[in-house]
Amino acid sequence: MSSYHGQVDSLGLSFFGSMTASISHEIKNALAIINENAGLLSDLVALSERGRPLDPERLKTIASTINRRVQNADDIVRRLNRFAHSANQPVVATGIREVLACTIVLAERLATMKGVTLSLAEGEEIEVQTLPFVIENMLWICLKHIFLHAQEQQRVVLGARREGSDIVLTLHGAPTLPLEQLVTTVSGEAQPLVLFLKMQVSADTAQDLLCLRMPLRFIE
Amino acid sequence: MSLNGNGNPAGWSGDQLTVLLIDDDREYLEVLAERLTIRGMTVTTAASGAAALEQLAAGYFDVTVLDLQMPELDGLGVLERLAATGSTPQVIVLTGHATVARGVRAMQLGAADVLEKPVDIRRLTETISKVAAAGQQRRQQTRPETGPAASPRSPLAGLFRRLFGSGKTT
Repeated sequence: MSSYHGQVDSLGLSFFGSMTASISHEIKNALAIINENAGLLSDLVALSERGRPLDPERLKTIASTINRRVQNADDIVRRLNRFAHSANQPVVATGIREVLACTIVLAERLATMKGVTLSLAEGEEIEVQTLPFVIENMLWICLKHIFLHAQEQQRVVLGARREGSDIVLTLHGAPTLPLEQLVTTVSGEAQPLVLFLKMQVSADTAQDLLCLRMPLRFIE
Repeated sequence: MSLNGNGNPAGWSGDQLTVLLIDDDREYLEVLAERLTIRGMTVTTAASGAAALEQLAAGYFDVTVLDLQMPELDGLGVLERLAATGSTPQVIVLTGHATVARGVRAMQLGAADVLEKPVDIRRLTETISKVAAAGQQRRQQTRPETGPAASPRSPLAGLFRRLFGSGKTT
């Protein structure tokens, strides 16, 4: 086994920790809203016992908010569950756009905190054989560095295209940081992943793209 | 539903404290503001760090309740700006993302207390009252010869206990 395999695991653990911390924060926020709305219902009942009339419309609004936020929390937990399972997934055949979409969902809250909007470029699905968790980890490292230098209301578009027997993942909308510098930074931090995925990281300055090229089929 | 001895909702104090509530989740802001208003407080809300700084510059609040994780200018950023200008409002951090490091940083920057979401309303109102009273005391003791006595125990110790419980130590 190559020495970088341990580093791939280490980067994966760090990625897993960042994502679960972010997701648990979202769950906390959903619980906080549910908690306050349930508490407000109790407050209104207590006030009605002191003679203040209960407004049925107000109660309906509160109940509706609770239902919506419970649904929201359930979506978050489902996302966490899917992400947790992806960490121990072997090489699978999957659509690359699906992997990109999962990455966007995972990184969305942290992007919002930085004033960045993430989106998926239009295009047809391309089937790859890969380790989705490792790809997501690689994309996260790229996004993390983009977020660090992001400007307000920046848009970052993730995309993919097929080139022969390779797939090229693209990130459009890099910040003020020069693309070449982003390539150097990402390549340095993610070197074990780059080696593991047989990936080439490059800059397409003409189209303002950070490009991640790798074989369509993961080679052990 | 728990009522206090006067038949009011739990945590009712009726002491007309002025509170600035800062959180980027408007739905959370609205419902918590309503609950504090029911308890006799006069509540102003701000949905961003920048809006909060404007409110703090424009008026006086007995207590400011501040979220940490917000887009653009976050809670720690707000505290840093306040510290840089020498402004010392009474701040309670209320966050869903409480880590010891962030809590310690918030208190180093002048926060009086750190609470975790979801919070019990009674706990929150008690903390608001306590922090407001401490602020009032501090204002009354501004003359050097009658300055406040040193705290008998570190507030950071209390923060650590709240975030990680009071488990056994070895």
